[in-house]
Amino acid sequence: MKLSEIVELFACEVYTKEIYDPHQEINHAFCADLMSDALMILSTVRDTGLLEEAVLVTGLATNQSIRTAEMLDVEVILLVRGKVPASQVIELANESNITLLGTKTTMFNASGQMYAHGVRGITSAQ
Amino acid sequence: MSSFYHKHYTILPNDYFNAGSASSDIKKTLKQLKVSKDIIKKVSVASYEAEINVVIHSFGGSVDLHIVNHTLYLQFTDSGPGIDDIELAMKPGYTTASEISRLNGFGAGMGLVNIKASADEMTLISDPNGTILKLKFFLHTEDANEII
Repeated sequence: MKLSEIVELFACEVYTKEIYDPHQEINHAFCADLMSDALMILSTVRDTGLLEEAVLVTGLATNQSIRTAEMLDVEVILLVRGKVPASQVIELANESNITLLGTKTTMFNASGQMYAHGVRGITSAQ
Repeated sequence: MSSFYHKHYTILPNDYFNAGSASSDIKKTLKQLKVSKDIIKKVSVASYEAEINVVIHSFGGSVDLHIVNHTLYLQFTDSGPGIDDIELAMKPGYTTASEISRLNGFGAGMGLVNIKASADEMTLISDPNGTILKLKFFLHTEDANEII
């Protein structure tokens, strides 16, 4: 999927407009509210190019989501369930070159719809 | 021991806003030094989890990055209150973390487990006056040559 399709499908707010690339390809996704889970599973991914085409879907709207994505080289975060990030979080996302999106859609529904559009989950040691 | 690369960072207690900034800088530094991507990933994940541990659990501390020959060392040091039972702390799912750390996406008892899985060697020593976590990562031969 193109990032612009995700934005349209979920009526996303784009918080990091300066770095938003509508043509960015998203082919993989991982859902977590617990950042240790994202760190544990995604750090074992052997094909690092896969993470560059991935979105981290989370309800955690703090700096720690941005830091986690940064450590893992994930370039896009989709905040679900209508979570709104603080201005400092948006600032850190811009600084870290992480595209930050927000939607009112729930995590399950967002995942299901992305799957229907060909986006696949990331599993350990992939 | 003569080290040819060293950087020191202070880590403040309960500072969830800046938690991860040392690990972020360590990651950028390793990129600049042209360390291989797979090693950077392992170091970043272990460093970030360990930094979060210092923020959540300690009275404050620091991390030192050393690169000597073909080995990268991270040493996290804090000034207490120490880990009561290291064996128990290493058990997946065991946690003494506060509600605020859980609200920040951590504190599920997987930190040390993740760190151990990412590092090539890990040493953890602790008493009520402080904790020292030493992590060792073996670089690829070509990485070390680049740094020299």
